[in-house]
Amino acid sequence: MIPNVAPAPADSAPATAAAAVQPKSGQRTAFSKVSASRLFASPGGVAGVVWLAALVVASLTAQWWLPYKTEDQDFTAVLSGPTAAHWLGTDELGRDLLSRIFAAAAGTLGTSLITVIVGVGLGTVLAMVAAGGDRTEGAISRVTEVMMSLPGTVIILAVIGAVGTNIPLIMAILGVLISAGIYRVILGQAKSLQSQLYVDAAKVDGVSTLGISLRHVLPGLTNTIVVQSALIFAVGMLIQAGLAFIGFGPPIPQPSWGGMIQGASQHVYDAPWLMVPTGAVLALTVLAANAIGNALGKSPNAGVSHLPSAAARRQRGRVVAAAVAATGAAASAADTGAIPAKGHLSVRGLSVGVDGGTPLVTGVSFDVEQGTVLGLVGESGCGKTMTALSLLGLLPAGVSATGGQILWNGKNLAAATERDMEGIRGRDIALISQEPMRALDPMFTVGYQLTAAIRRLLKVGKAEARAEALSLLEKVGIVDAKRILKTYPHQISGGMAQRVAIALALSGRPRLLVADEPTTALDVTVQAEILSLLRSLVKDSGMSVVMVTHDLGVVADICDNVAVMYAGQVVESGRTANILDNPRHPYTLALLAADPHANTAADMPERLATISGQVPQPKDWPTGCRFMARCQFAGSACAAPVPLLSSGSEDGLVRCVKADELAVEGLEWLATEVPTHHVMKIVEKDLA
Amino acid sequence: MALFITKRLLMALATVLVVAVLAFLLVHAMPGSPGAVSLGAGASQEAIDEVNARLGWNDPLLAQFFRWLGDAVQGNLGSSLIDGRSVSADLGNRLPVTASLAAGATVLSAVLGIGLGVTAAVRGGMVDRIVGGICGLAVALPAFWIGIIFVYLFAIQSSVFPATGYVPFEVSPQDWGMSLALPVITLAVGGAAFIARQTRASMLEALQQEHIRTLRATATSTWKILYIHALRYASLPIVAGIALQFIGLFGGSVIAEQLFAMPGLGQAVQTSVSTHDAPAVQGVVVIATVVVVAVNLVLELATKFLDPKLRAS
Repeated sequence: MIPNVAPAPADSAPATAAAAVQPKSGQRTAFSKVSASRLFASPGGVAGVVWLAALVVASLTAQWWLPYKTEDQDFTAVLSGPTAAHWLGTDELGRDLLSRIFAAAAGTLGTSLITVIVGVGLGTVLAMVAAGGDRTEGAISRVTEVMMSLPGTVIILAVIGAVGTNIPLIMAILGVLISAGIYRVILGQAKSLQSQLYVDAAKVDGVSTLGISLRHVLPGLTNTIVVQSALIFAVGMLIQAGLAFIGFGPPIPQPSWGGMIQGASQHVYDAPWLMVPTGAVLALTVLAANAIGNALGKSPNAGVSHLPSAAARRQRGRVVAAAVAATGAAASAADTGAIPAKGHLSVRGLSVGVDGGTPLVTGVSFDVEQGTVLGLVGESGCGKTMTALSLLGLLPAGVSATGGQILWNGKNLAAATERDMEGIRGRDIALISQEPMRALDPMFTVGYQLTAAIRRLLKVGKAEARAEALSLLEKVGIVDAKRILKTYPHQISGGMAQRVAIALALSGRPRLLVADEPTTALDVTVQAEILSLLRSLVKDSGMSVVMVTHDLGVVADICDNVAVMYAGQVVESGRTANILDNPRHPYTLALLAADPHANTAADMPERLATISGQVPQPKDWPTGCRFMARCQFAGSACAAPVPLLSSGSEDGLVRCVKADELAVEGLEWLATEVPTHHVMKIVEKDLA
Repeated sequence: MALFITKRLLMALATVLVVAVLAFLLVHAMPGSPGAVSLGAGASQEAIDEVNARLGWNDPLLAQFFRWLGDAVQGNLGSSLIDGRSVSADLGNRLPVTASLAAGATVLSAVLGIGLGVTAAVRGGMVDRIVGGICGLAVALPAFWIGIIFVYLFAIQSSVFPATGYVPFEVSPQDWGMSLALPVITLAVGGAAFIARQTRASMLEALQQEHIRTLRATATSTWKILYIHALRYASLPIVAGIALQFIGLFGGSVIAEQLFAMPGLGQAVQTSVSTHDAPAVQGVVVIATVVVVAVNLVLELATKFLDPKLRAS
C-alpha cells in the first residue's frame, strides 16, 4: 500500500540528474522564475494547481455553501444517483455525497501535508548532512537502505495498533518511513552541488558547513524538493484513503474519502454509482498533485537520443522527402557534371539544422579523394561534428540534413533513407568516436561486440568472425588479442579501447573512415600512437579519412587537405601544407597564432595570441562574415555576405573579402594584452 | 562477490533484528495488557493479573524480548490472545496466500510495465503520450477503488472470475488461478504503471548513450539495438524498480486481501491490530519483514549480476 517513491518515478528521474548541476549565478532567484514558468507552461500543471486551489477553497468554506450537513439523513432518497436535490447522489443512509466529499477534503489534504513536511523535510536534511561528509553519508545511507527494505504498510498498521487511529501522528510516522526514498532522490543532487567549485571556494573562505548547506546547496535543491513534495502529497492521500478503507480512518461519523469508498463497496451490487463521485475526486486530486510534480520535474535540457523513436524517424522521413522534392536532389547529382569516382566523397552545399528551426551548418562543400585524409578543423561549436555525422546519417534526434548533397558512389546520402544508410554504414563509411570508453557497450565483451559486427557486416560464420576479430585486433596493434576479446570495456585502458573502437570501425572493411576527434580524450603519448596507427591504416588499405579535430598538430601530422570551419561554414580549405604555411583567412591565421605547438621553439612568441570572444550561437549569426565580431582586421566591407573564392594557391578556397589585402600586407594575428584580473583568477584557481 | 554477499546477508539479518525490536516495543505500547485483551471486557482484575503473570508480562522488557527472540528463532511466535492458536502455524497457512498474491502481482506488473515502457520509449509520439496518460491515471487511482470496479465488471456484470475468496493450489490449481486473478490484476495496475515509467525513463537514458551510435555506425539493426543493447543497459534500474515494487505490492496485499476476503498475512495484520492481539501483530510484522528483505536481497544480487563491472570485481 505504501507506493514506492524512492527513485523518483514519472518523468522526473532523468530530469533531476540532468538538471543537477546548475550554474551558480542567480540560483536563489532562479527557482521562483524557472519553476513557476515551467509549471504554467504545462497544461497539466495549470490544471493541477487550479483543481487543488479550488478544492482547498471549497472545503475551507464548506460550512457556508454546502447544501447539507455531513450527518443529515434524507430517507426519501437513500442510495440515489445524481438528482436536483443531491447533485452527486446519496449513500445508504441518505447522506449527501457532495457535502460529505467536500467536508472530508480539508482533513485529507491537511494531514497529507504532514507526511510531506516530515518526509521531505527529514529526507532533505539527511541528504544535505550526508552530502557534507563521506563517513556520515555511509552511515545515513545504510540506515535509509534498511528503512526502504521494510514492509512499510505492515509497520504502519502495527503503529496504529499501538497509538490508535491518530491520523496526524500516523501520517507523520509515514513521513519518516518515506523520507528514506526522498533522501535517495535528493542525495545525488546535493552531492553534485556540494562538489561544485564555488562550494570549495566558500570552504576556503571559511564558510561553515551549515552555511554552505543553507546558502549554496539548499537553493539548488529547491526544484527537486518541490517536485518530491507534490509527489509525496499524492502518496499521502492515497495511503490515508487506503487506511480509512480498511477501517483505520477517522472515527466513524466523520467522513473520509477512503471510508466513503469502503461504504460504497458494500453497495456495489445495488448502487454502483456510489463508487464514482468519491473515487473521481480522490483520483483527480492525486492526479493534480502528480501533474504539478511532473510539470516541475520535467528537465528542459534532457540528453539527446542516438536512436530516434519510431515517431521521430517518420518525422525525419518526411523532412528528407520534402528536401528531396524541393531541390530535386537525385537529378542534380548529374547536373553538377562530374559524377565523383568510386571511393571519392564529394560534399556540395550541405546544410544541417534543427528540425523546423535553427541551422547548424550552412553551405559546406569539400572533397575527399580516395586514400587521402581531410581535416575538418575549428573550435567547439562550429559544426564540424554535425558535418561529420551527417556523412553517416547519424545526426542526433531532432537534427537533420536540410539541403545540399553528400555524393558517395553515385548516391546522395543527404537524401538517403534510413534503410539505404543501414547498407552504407560500417560497410562503406565507418565511424570512430571521441571517447572510446563511451563508444563501446559496457554490457558486452569486446569479443561479442567485434564478432557480432563482423558477422553482420561480412556475413560470415561464428568461427570465421572470431578469426577475423583476432586479426583485426592484431592489425590495430593489440598484442594479447585473445585476452582482450574476453574483457569488458571497463577493464581496458582508454588507448586500448580506442584501438578496439578502430578495429570495430574497420570490421566492415570501409572505404571511408569518419574520425570525430579520435585522440582528444587520450593521453598525449597514446595520441601519437593512435595517429600513427591511423596513418599506416590509410597507407595500407587505401581508405580515405575525414578527421574532425581542433588540434592543428593532428592536421599537420596526418591530413592531406584541410577545411577550416567557423560558425557552420567552411572559411578556408586547401592542401594542408599551403594552409599551414600560408593561411589566408584571419580565423586560420588566429588559430595558428594561438596554437602553442604550431610555433617552433625558435620563433615562439613571448605571448601566445588569443581569439577574443566565442563562436556565436547559430541564432546570432550575422548575414555578413560570421567571424567579423572577433576579427582583428574587420572592416565595413565584412558586413555583406562573403562568398568562398579561390585563394590562388592550387585548389585552395577562402571566405574573406580582405584575403588578398592581408596577403599583400603580410599581416599577422597579434597577441593582445591580457587584462590583469584575468591572470589573478588563474593564479587563484591554481592555489585552490 | 563473496564479501559482498556476506555483507548483504549480515545487513539483512540486522534489518530483521531491528524490526523485531521495533515490533516488540510497539506491541508493548498497545493499549490493554494481554490478560485484558484475551479475557475480554468484563473479566475480573484477578483473572487478568493471573493471565499476565502466566505470560510473563510483568518481567523486565529485556527478558521478555529475549524470551520471545529465543522462541522465534525456534519457529515459535507464541499463541494468539484471542483464540489461543499458534501464531506460527496460523501465519504459515497464510503466507502462501500473500506470497502468491504479491509474486503474481509483481510478475504481471513487470511483464506489463516493461512492455508498455519499452513501447512508449521506442515508438514515441502519440503512443508515448497515450501510455503516459494511462500510467498517470493508473498511479492516481487507489488500488481498492480499482479492485471494486473490477469486481463490478468481472464478477457482478459478467461472472468471469469469483468476486471473493481464495482456493489453495493443492485443492484445485485452476480455481486457485481463478481466485487470484482479480486481486492480482488489481494490484498490478499501479505496479505496472510504476514499472512502465521506470522502464521508459531507463530506455530513453540508454538510447542517449554514445555506444548506441557506435552500434548504428556498424549497421546493427534497430531491433537489435533496442531489444538487446538498450534494454540490457536499462535492465539494471528496471530490476531495481521491480524489487522496490515487490515491497509495495506485499504491503498492498493488505487491501487486496480485505477487498477479496483472502486469508493472507494482510488480513492477519488488519484483524490482529484491530483486536490488539500482541503476539499476532509482532509475528506478522517479523514474518513480513523476513519475506520482503529476503526477496529484496535476491533481486539486489540479480542486479549486481547484471552489471559486468560489479560481477567482475
